[in-house]
Amino acid sequence: MSEMRAAIETHSLVKHYDKVEALRGIDLTVNIGEMFALLGPNGAGKTTLFSILATLRKPSAGSAKVLGRDVVDERSAVRQHMGIVFQEPALEQKLSVRDNLLLMGLFYGLRVKAARARTVEILENLGLTDVAARPAQKLSGGQKRKLELARSMVPNPDILFLDEATLGLDVDARRNFWAQVRQFVRSGRTVFFTTHYMEEAEVADRIALIDKGRIIALGTPQELKQRIGGGVILLTTEDDARAFAWLTEQGYKPEKSERGILLVSAEPAAVLPTLLTTMPIKTLRAEVHEPSLEDVFLTLTGKTLDGGETVPAKPTFTIGTAP
Amino acid sequence: MRGLFAVIALDLKRLWTDRVRLIVGLIQPLLYLFVLGSGLGANSLMGGGKYFAYIYPGVVGLSMLFTSVFAAMLIVFDRQIGFLKAVLVAPVARPAIAIGKVLSGAIQALVPAVVLLFLMPLLGIHPGYLGFLGLLGAMAMAAITFSALGVATAARFKSTTVFPIISNAVLLPMFFLSGALYPLANAPHWLKILAHFDPMAYAVDMMRGALLGTLFFPLGLSIGVLAGFIIVLTWLATRVFASGEDA
Repeated sequence: MSEMRAAIETHSLVKHYDKVEALRGIDLTVNIGEMFALLGPNGAGKTTLFSILATLRKPSAGSAKVLGRDVVDERSAVRQHMGIVFQEPALEQKLSVRDNLLLMGLFYGLRVKAARARTVEILENLGLTDVAARPAQKLSGGQKRKLELARSMVPNPDILFLDEATLGLDVDARRNFWAQVRQFVRSGRTVFFTTHYMEEAEVADRIALIDKGRIIALGTPQELKQRIGGGVILLTTEDDARAFAWLTEQGYKPEKSERGILLVSAEPAAVLPTLLTTMPIKTLRAEVHEPSLEDVFLTLTGKTLDGGETVPAKPTFTIGTAP
Repeated sequence: MRGLFAVIALDLKRLWTDRVRLIVGLIQPLLYLFVLGSGLGANSLMGGGKYFAYIYPGVVGLSMLFTSVFAAMLIVFDRQIGFLKAVLVAPVARPAIAIGKVLSGAIQALVPAVVLLFLMPLLGIHPGYLGFLGLLGAMAMAAITFSALGVATAARFKSTTVFPIISNAVLLPMFFLSGALYPLANAPHWLKILAHFDPMAYAVDMMRGALLGTLFFPLGLSIGVLAGFIIVLTWLATRVFASGEDA
């Protein structure tokens, strides 16, 4: 019997800490072989959802299955088949790269000999053989993260959980890291990750946006962008507060963002000239661009994905000079 | 079983890599022995040499108490930096983690204690074959008790700032009440009563009994009390690791 199971399946997942409701009923299905991103601002429930799926926390109500196994009742079985990279370093800094992996192998039930063989294999796959003898603390930031990824590969997992795995890495190291992850997905296995970097979320097959403990949108990056229509106008004016009031009066639906006033429009190129000539407040700068995931989020929740760096989408065209 | 082995192997490998901790751990008990033995012994009615023999088990106990509890405190440190998560997320049975931590702490405590054994002839302590075996058994039991105490405590804490508090509020009173430095038999009544609640008192008494042949507590009582402490404390530690909240 060959039954296509979901990699992750949750039903009405709820989690509260004392009186705070971190998750208010999550129903989510992630397919096998999918690269799935979970996006949300700090405090949205992102880490809680991630932790429950990765068997680190227990749900208060509802259920979650990973690879067909319950994350509470069959926790050990889930753990045997998953790899995880934490946000914080989870390495013994004084131990060598090799010993870090070797000892983890023992934790996954390998005999010493098998753990050695597995270590050699992983070191080769990830290009860490040259630094195998080096203590973890002597590695560069990118290498350290790569070792975290290597550690997560010890159980030869079918699903990989990544929690803000590239936080603080430079662009090159990040690219390198994701290249390794994509190689993992290409072999038909599943990746579930959280991130603050928008361009990282773009590589996902599907993205779930989470806010206030609920999934507020789910789809491919393209689908999510299409949801908010044609494009986004970003305005910087002499008096943003007045401009905001005026736009609202005129029937537009402006959103405040750190970068200025955002206007989602079906035809931004047609709307902008009218706006610039009729608005009584002087415009310092106007941009039109394709909606980014950030814009999607802003439109759906009225707030930005704060707490992390976001890279604004490249404007299609710009009028005026930066303030 | 493999999980248990993994937990112990990781801790011992870490100790071996951390040479400073290893060397300090070996020197510390020597310091205790000579400073306490010389300082207190000079003022003791027993006379210096005899006093050395008398406090020897107490010093071994003190060394094991501090080494094992501080080894356990590394759990708190691991939790703080995030390393503990990598261990807890592995498919290792929770009792194996607790028992492994208790045993690895005990082993770490026994290493410097065994080094102290080599000094016995120099101090004029000649326990004989049976006494020596008894001493080893008592030491192992004491080390496991102290380590279990450390692990059960450390498993609960989230911040390393508790180290000095534990050290001052728990370990030192345990040491002073234990009769490590003076005979409990001659101590005031209230102190004798308090000593009955101090696992270290039983541990030191057993070790001293093996060396000098005199016991304050009945041997069966000592073994029973320490075994009880080990079981209850290890169970408490297991409960923390099995809470299901490993984040």
